[in-house]
This record gives sequence, structure tokens and C-alpha cells, in this order.
Amino acid sequence: MNTAFHFDTLVWDWPIAVYLLLIGISSGMVIIAVLLKRYILVVNAADDGVIKATTIIAPLTVILGLVILIFHLARSWTFWYLMVFYNPHSIMSLGVMLFQIYMAVLILWIIAIYQAKISDIINLAWVSRLVRLIAKGERGLDIIMIFLAVLLGVYTGFLLLALKSYPLLNNPVLPLLFLASGLTSAVAMAILCGLMFYKQSVHSPSLAFIHKLELPLIIMEFGLLAVFFIGLIFGGGQKEVAATTALRGFWGAVFWLGVMGLGILLPIALKLLCSERTKFNKAYLVTMSAIGLCSVFILRMFILYAGQMVMA
Amino acid sequence: MGVSRRGFIMGIGGAALAANPINRILAEVINPQTLVIGNIRYGMVHDETKCICCRACILPCHRENKVPAEVTRLDSLDNGTYRELNKNSRQFVRKSCQHCDNPPCVAVCPTGASYKDPKTGIVDVHHDRCVGCRYCLAACPYHVRFIHPLSKTADKCNFCRDTNLAAGKPPACVAICPVKALTFGNLDDPDSDIAKLIASKTVYRNKLYLGTSPKLYHIAGKFGEIRG
Repeated sequence: MNTAFHFDTLVWDWPIAVYLLLIGISSGMVIIAVLLKRYILVVNAADDGVIKATTIIAPLTVILGLVILIFHLARSWTFWYLMVFYNPHSIMSLGVMLFQIYMAVLILWIIAIYQAKISDIINLAWVSRLVRLIAKGERGLDIIMIFLAVLLGVYTGFLLLALKSYPLLNNPVLPLLFLASGLTSAVAMAILCGLMFYKQSVHSPSLAFIHKLELPLIIMEFGLLAVFFIGLIFGGGQKEVAATTALRGFWGAVFWLGVMGLGILLPIALKLLCSERTKFNKAYLVTMSAIGLCSVFILRMFILYAGQMVMA
Repeated sequence: MGVSRRGFIMGIGGAALAANPINRILAEVINPQTLVIGNIRYGMVHDETKCICCRACILPCHRENKVPAEVTRLDSLDNGTYRELNKNSRQFVRKSCQHCDNPPCVAVCPTGASYKDPKTGIVDVHHDRCVGCRYCLAACPYHVRFIHPLSKTADKCNFCRDTNLAAGKPPACVAICPVKALTFGNLDDPDSDIAKLIASKTVYRNKLYLGTSPKLYHIAGKFGEIRG
């Protein structure tokens, strides 16, 4: 009974890919938001649609991802063991520590962004004093936050990289590939939210900045994918078997159509072919963002499933 | 007050000497699994030239260790049919936990539920601490772990540590094997049957290149290629 979604060597199935997507979005959106805050929107960052979206989506995706993970455990009700018992050799255990620090700093970082609004809404002396205290460290929080977000972005890669049993996953390019694709999904998410929920202008400084990130990110992802597979093929042995197996059959089709086609070739082609008018058309941007998000999810599914097909 | 140069250098030297154990502690932190602990290191040899794949080993394993029928801690895999003296002979390889000296399943376990017993070298699971994340199932290059259908925790061969071994008997599979294809014992005791057998035969272990140092040894069948 071997099919594309059920085979003997498969251990982790699709909910893990959803989790990988969500964590990538959170990490990428925080990285972009910190860059926006520091270099583009020097004042009134709290009024920007992309920053607002980040303050909602970044914590929400992490919470949703972890809930999915908890229900994916064979013994869900024992999930709190992970927060009591630690193993410094385990990437997953280090990840649990990272998630806790990330969420704590994220909350402080969001409070610092909305400092003025919080003080307006809650008229308590001690609250405004606390908020002012947090806001004083805003610059420091920005730096810590982007550092933690990069760590989170590469973490999911290291989680799979630690599996020496699967040569395709046990690949040093994987953390960087996941960081880049996380940023791509964050760009798509930011444009989607900025346009749909915050009615932001396509020409606003933040969306213009994010728009400029698209092409370099896609090219970087293409390069990383090329290094990923060329490295495996020249690695020989089971690495080569893993790469050639992944690039053929059902998952091969998923890779060539979904990852290469939708995620890399289509956006590059449209960038070259479309007129400036279409490029700033709202419907076009929303569609492209949705396709971008899909292609990142397809990439995570592909890596997860194709990665477990061949053992070392 | 004031420290002479001589005194300072002697102080540094003394500190370096005192720090020597720290180096060892550091080595342990970096790679705890490669340290040899105690004097018992249980291992097993499967002689493929003797195994007839009667599967007698599998049944008592299920019974002794209360393993449900839909999963198994050990299996016997076909390794081809060969022609010898006008008759066909078949060969088999054992699939079960290798009790690695450097077990990947232990390294990845987030809660420390997967562990290597320092007194016996047996790789085992603290079932009450396992959350069922399946990270160890994925990390094992020998693909021998499974989620126990009743306890919902990771399970695998532990050389009958809680049953036969605790009662002073060899593991159930070893005790029942009608052709004596399985040998179990202390690898670190040069007088043990297993140490003598390994010294007297050409043996192989699976996937040594991954640095796992497995303690399941195989005596290769007479024909064909070794199935690593």
C-alpha cells in the first residue's frame, strides 16, 4: 500500500507541513515589520497596515501552529512535559525554549508599538508607567525581535535537518531555504492583509518596500533550491537516490509545477511581462499573493513528504 | 597585597590543572553517548547463515512484552533466494532496534524519554515521559520504532529488559530460536559467547557511516550482497 501520501518510511504527515508554513509566516512577517519600522516608517509605525497585520498574525500563526502540533502528538494531553523536561541535544527541545522566549518578547514588542494607544484606552497610572517602561526599550526590542524571528525561521529547517535518517532532510541548505520561503510567504501575507483588511494604498511606503523584496527573494529561493539539489546529487549514494526520487513521480510533478512553476517561474515571468498598470492592480496583487502563499505551502509539503521517501 | 608574576603564573597553572575535569565535563556535554560507562554493554549477533525465518522469535516477543499484533518490535526480512547444490536456499536479515552506542533517537528526544541505560547500554523509553511526538521514529535510521497502540508512546525492542532479562533469562527471541541463530551477551566481557563469536567470524553492522555505533551484529549469509 504505497501511495504518495502513505508509504512505509513516512513518519510525519501533512499537519506538520501546515505548522512549518505558519511558523515561516510568523518569522518572516516579524523580520519584515522590524525592517519597516527601523528604515521606512520611522514615525507612526502603529498606523501602518502591514505593522498592524504583523501584530495580529505573528502571534496568531505561532499559537495556531503550536495547537496543531499539540493535537498531532500521540499523547496530546502530555504536551506540557515539553515545557518541564528539556534535552539540550534535541532541536525540538531547543525550539520549545525558543517559542517561549519568542512569544514573551513578541508581546513586549507589540506593547511597545501600541504604547500611545494603550495609554489612551486604559487610564490607569501603573499601566501607563509599565507601558512607558517597555516602550523605553523599543530599539532594543526591535533588535532582539528580528534576531529571534531569524532563529525561528531557521529553526524549522534545523528540526528536519537533525534527522540523519533521511538524506534529503539532513541537508545544511534546508534552514536557509525555509528562512527564505518563510520571508516569501510573509511578503504575500503582508500584501494580502494590507490590501484587503487595512485598505492600504498600493503605493504606500510599506507596500512599496515589500514589493521591492519580492524579486530578490524569489531569485534567492531559486538559488537555494538549486544548491539544495545539486549538493544532494553530487553527494552520491543515498543522497543522490533521495534527490532523483524526489524530482520524479508524483512529488516530482508537485515540485516542478507547484514550487518551480507557481512559486518561481510564474512570478518572474509576470514581473517581466506585465505593464506597470497591471502590476499595481489590486486584484492582480491579491491573486499573486494567494498564489505565493500556496506555493510556499506546496514547498513545505514537498520537502516533508519527498524528504521521507528515501532513507540513509 | 600584590601578586608576584611567579605567583600569578603558578596560579594560572593550578587553575588549568583544576580545570582538567571541566574538559571532560565539556566533552560529555558535547557528546555524552560515546562515553563507555560501567562494564556491561549488551549486544546481539544474528547469524544469517543459520536463520531459517521460522518467525519463532516474533511470537514470544509479542507475548512477553505485551506488544499488540498490529505492530512488532522485530521482524525477519527476505534477503533473496540463492541456488546451492541444486536446491534453493533463502536468506534473511533481522530488523530490530540496534541499541546504538550513539543513538539518534536519544539525541532528538525533546523530553529525555528516550534514553540509553548507562549500566547496560540498552536503549529504552521512559513511557511515562513520552509525549508521542514521533521525532525518534523519524530520527531512527533503522526505522524500528513505532507508537504503541495502547500506551500511545514510542516503543521498540529493549532486549526484554523489563521481562526476561529482569528474571535473569536471555531475551525471548534468543531463548526460543530453534537454530541458535541469535546470540546475546556482554560485548565488553572478552569471555562471553558473543564476544568470542564476533572475534571468530566476519561480522557486519548496519549504517556504520552514520556514526550510530550499533550493537546488533550480523554474520552475513553465504550468498549475494550484504543488505546494509
